[in-house]
Amino acid sequence: MKLTLLISLSGIFTAATMRAEMRDAATHEQLELIYREASQSDPTRKFTPSKGPDPSTAHPLKDLISESDIVCFNGIATLVPKRAILQIPKNMADRLKYIAGAKLMGWGDFYALNRGWITTVEVSRVQAEGNFPIAEDTRKQMSKSANLIVATFQAGPISVLPLKVPAEKTAATAKTTTADPVTQSPKL
Amino acid sequence: MKTLIQSIVLGTLLSGTAAVAQTTSYLNYIRQFQMPADVTWDASDTVDPNGSKLSALAINPGGARFELWTIRSSSTTGLTSFPLESCYVGTYIPIANIVIRSEDATSEILRTRADRPFYVDITLTGLRNGASDPEPSKSVKFFRHVQSYGVAGTGVGIDRSQATLLTQSSIMTNGTQTLTYALNSIPGGNRSKIRGEERFSVFSLEDYQAGESQLASQFIQVWPVADGTISGISNNQMIKFNLPSLTLALNDLYPNSTTYAQVYKGNPVLGTTGTIVPGSAIVINDSIPQNRVLSLTKFDGVFTSDGRWTMELVTLTPFGTDRLHYISFDLDRTINMNTTVTTIE
Repeated sequence: MKLTLLISLSGIFTAATMRAEMRDAATHEQLELIYREASQSDPTRKFTPSKGPDPSTAHPLKDLISESDIVCFNGIATLVPKRAILQIPKNMADRLKYIAGAKLMGWGDFYALNRGWITTVEVSRVQAEGNFPIAEDTRKQMSKSANLIVATFQAGPISVLPLKVPAEKTAATAKTTTADPVTQSPKL
Repeated sequence: MKTLIQSIVLGTLLSGTAAVAQTTSYLNYIRQFQMPADVTWDASDTVDPNGSKLSALAINPGGARFELWTIRSSSTTGLTSFPLESCYVGTYIPIANIVIRSEDATSEILRTRADRPFYVDITLTGLRNGASDPEPSKSVKFFRHVQSYGVAGTGVGIDRSQATLLTQSSIMTNGTQTLTYALNSIPGGNRSKIRGEERFSVFSLEDYQAGESQLASQFIQVWPVADGTISGISNNQMIKFNLPSLTLALNDLYPNSTTYAQVYKGNPVLGTTGTIVPGSAIVINDSIPQNRVLSLTKFDGVFTSDGRWTMELVTLTPFGTDRLHYISFDLDRTINMNTTVTTIE
């Protein structure tokens, strides 16, 4: 993280000649004066003051790392949204934690290097929302797979919510659907 | 269902992996959060570093929030996330954009120094003013938060929900407005040693399907002014023969800076170009300020003659050149021999 280098003499002289306007480093006393003056002229005074609770504390952004699952293997790691991992084989559970020193990379690059043990299942938006079930065939293949399975939408990892509609109702709907909803999104 | 065109304009921040140092790297992520469904999609690999693109994931009537994050992976501190930008998109919700400008444009994470000004550009489009238009379409809220990192703090792992809300106001007009801040307002006892961040955010008003949601947000890190001392020679000291060893103690060197000691003949005159003392130069290219202690020996060669000399500690940053410390002393390396020759017949 720290990079300290002794620069070459030529670099030093170049740096020295760049000193167009040198000044003494600002002191607390000097800055205190500027700060007091600046406090008297808040630039937001041109807006209408408003009141109310602070929405950033009421609904703060959730930390990306805590909202992600980490997949780490062989010195590289990636983040996927929570609930995007649909299946975790027992022998791969230790790959879901960050190992210090692992290089973080995007999902696409990570997946390209780990296709041997990761399988993706492309889902539609309504399936991700839990409003439509993943196809029975796909679910059977998932249950037989020994790979880590990640849900994707347009090749990007996506969280999949639990199915909301009753299973009997969706089974009836599935019979009328000829195309596999896993690979083709239903009409909205 | 309605698909909204979401322009995702990413600047240089979305540059993939950018190595800052040998053991530190940054990776950017874009996430789309469907509201209120709570589905999260990682769109990082589907967008180019620059430009606009239609989001492939259709947005529900409740809207969607887009977040841009950068993750720093370090061999020493592990993974640290920094929210760079967040934007809520809804059917009639105005579009807001915040750009913070500082004199240091060299960093992945926008930063400035405790003594420097910065500027905030707020751009709003899509605000309506019709009598029948819903309230969330006619006004937005603008917030300014400040948060100190504490003494020697780096901002790693801070709880941003603990930030102090400084001001909040309503904006009801479209267009770009620039706010100029001569100095940061981060709390601290010594204003030259401020470490912390200021955050500026625009939120929508509460709607029937969503609470007050962030439309845009940007933050800027503020790092302290460097200081330094030269020890080993006292001011106005008379030095005969060899120069003593010197110690340069440098604190809070700006993350992007070059610092060195220089000497020139005569009394101190601010702005004088001198000769760099060999072995005194330090280049910092980091994400946080650094402290250094240097020992200098055998540097007599830079003093070309006897007389009055001045030594200065100088640091170059994106903000210009600052003198951190200086001393003047008198050098007398001439050996005078008083002899008498006597003859006796």
